[in-house]
Amino acid sequence: MIEPEHLFIFGSIMLVTWFLFTYNWPRMILYVFKRAILGKGFGDGPIPINTLHTEPQTLFADPIHPPASASNLATTGVNRDTLLTVGVLDLSKGPQVLHVPDMNSRYYSVQFTDPSNNTVFAYVGRRTTGTEAGDYLITGPNRKGQAPSGMKQISSPNNSVLVLGRVLVESDVDLSNAHHLAEQIRFTPLSQEGSV
Amino acid sequence: MSGRTYTYLAALDGVIIGFFFVYSFFFNPNSRTVRNDVVQGFLIGFGLAFVTAQIYARIKTKKINGWTTMFGCGEPGNGFLFRAACAQVFPGPINVQKEAMYWTTDVDGPGHLLSGEHDYIMHFPAGQLPPNDAFWSLTMGDEHNRFVPNPINRYSVSDRSGLVPNADGFIDIYIQNAAPAGHESNWLPAPAGKFILWLRVYQPGAAILNGEYHVPPVVKVK
Repeated sequence: MIEPEHLFIFGSIMLVTWFLFTYNWPRMILYVFKRAILGKGFGDGPIPINTLHTEPQTLFADPIHPPASASNLATTGVNRDTLLTVGVLDLSKGPQVLHVPDMNSRYYSVQFTDPSNNTVFAYVGRRTTGTEAGDYLITGPNRKGQAPSGMKQISSPNNSVLVLGRVLVESDVDLSNAHHLAEQIRFTPLSQEGSV
Repeated sequence: MSGRTYTYLAALDGVIIGFFFVYSFFFNPNSRTVRNDVVQGFLIGFGLAFVTAQIYARIKTKKINGWTTMFGCGEPGNGFLFRAACAQVFPGPINVQKEAMYWTTDVDGPGHLLSGEHDYIMHFPAGQLPPNDAFWSLTMGDEHNRFVPNPINRYSVSDRSGLVPNADGFIDIYIQNAAPAGHESNWLPAPAGKFILWLRVYQPGAAILNGEYHVPPVVKVK
């Protein structure tokens, strides 16, 4: 029979491994997403940190023939409703300002996901903030102080943030219009926002 | 290989591996070293993490009329087991249910695998399209969850695709490989082989969020 000390070592290692993998499963999956965004983007080049990029119109218009360079990010799964806009934020060097254009009651959402556990801590979009143009201050966990007037503040629990924008495409002829709107969802560092 | 065969083979593998594991672990003292303890502990712990997330996902998944979904993913207050289960069912940055609901199926109402060898319809009674404040869509994917080439370049049907109701107000969606004569406007082209379907509802209505609304089954007609 097995000796107690072997059983103890085996059991402890097993329990710790079980917990660590279960606890970090969402983080590991989103790490793959972050690497894809920062490394390949939609196949048309890396998307730098603190910037957003919208999937190319051609990819949406002809999903059967994605470009050879397209990443899994853009070619896995089937979605013919919304143009996807993605980016990764690093708030450790200061807050970022999200600008959204007037969507004129079109469905859109900007989803702020905490990549450490795959939960959504905030939305900007039709359901939560309406479709008018606006500016939103995104701050990291260590930031104190007030947002500049006229700006709503969104506090992130994590300096790293995964951002997903979705803009509804009404029809084939609406695609370029929707793409134009999606490209106007942008981040700028707070320090570049005029007098603040 | 069908899903059921796969399950039986996986279970058989589990029994065989389990037998050798228990045997060498408990009845073969010569093989025990600290190194074995650590390596086996790590491997079994990893396997158990995967299995518990799978089992918990099964428990939390709602399956009605063949369609499966999960409520409550992505909320900041979720516990670590539930987060792991959500990550297995929807491996990506997910929406919370108030923003969007997703259902998927690879079977018809009675539970048989969907295949382009057959013709199917989805039958929405008048006023029973998925309630929403934004949009809904039904999207076709092949067995690897990729878009399906078809002569009319239609990859989904939705509230924007001009579905034509029957005289009684019902809306039938024809899910089949060949175009349905006289019903082309309501055709969702299927591949020749196996396929899956996704139903998305953005800004879902109260009847969806409180569980009253049931997605109608995919019905085999031929």
